[in-house]
Amino acid sequence: MAVSVLGELLITAGLVLGLFVVYSLWWTNVIADREADRQADKVRDHWAQGGTAPGGPGALDTGDGIGFLHVPAMSGGEILVEKGTSAKVLNDGVAGYYTDPVKAVLPTSGKKGNFSLAAHRDGHGAKFHNIDKIKKGDPIVFETKDTWYVYKAYAILPETSKYNVDVLDAVPKESGRTKPGHYITLTTCTPVYTSRYRYVVWGELVRTEKVDSERTPPAELR
Amino acid sequence: MGYGRDGMYGWIWRHLPGNAWIKALISIVLVLAVVYVLFQYVFPWAEPLLPFNDVTVDNS
Repeated sequence: MAVSVLGELLITAGLVLGLFVVYSLWWTNVIADREADRQADKVRDHWAQGGTAPGGPGALDTGDGIGFLHVPAMSGGEILVEKGTSAKVLNDGVAGYYTDPVKAVLPTSGKKGNFSLAAHRDGHGAKFHNIDKIKKGDPIVFETKDTWYVYKAYAILPETSKYNVDVLDAVPKESGRTKPGHYITLTTCTPVYTSRYRYVVWGELVRTEKVDSERTPPAELR
Repeated sequence: MGYGRDGMYGWIWRHLPGNAWIKALISIVLVLAVVYVLFQYVFPWAEPLLPFNDVTVDNS
């Protein structure tokens, strides 16, 4: 009697764990992609209506969406970029720029610094799932309302401690750079399906291109 | 205990009303309800407590 109830509980626990895997790796992607699409449409509409630059008046209804990241090496299309790296932001299937512990320097500011981003490796849109496909020299393009910022990946750190906040520095020394410049940093967790370490890709700005009326993508994305 | 020989699922089955078809139907509804509660409430609550999905670097 007791044995059969115990057996049923064990089977039930197994089923619940199995369902949790389905939830983590599939369902969270479904809802995150839906939410990301919705917010991305809002940003695009806002741009089309001639909205002002992020942070200006009328920026409220775009969420904190400031632009789109295009990384052909990762495929998977464009990734909306929003402010902050809290779970609440990232769980919407977007990439977030760091506000803490080291504040990201937005490319739109024109200042030298590090545009540091984070996104999920698995679940919740898994926008940086294929980060390991990025090789040195691959383009990383950030699209804003008016400008394409074309970066080139120049350094990769396949595994580092999750406490290694130095990778976000304005001049990320671990990437081999010692002088101030316009850098971009992508961070996510590694190995896949865990959060033991962090994977970091650094890029630097090669050039910028004005967005034309057709929003023709720069050569790197064609 | 009141579970008899067949465990708790057997106990539930015997306490559902109607014939076998109606019992089966109610069982499916119950299963779907449990899955819904898990996906909608339990898993979203449990996920941040598990170390699978931290992607940022930080000091803490």
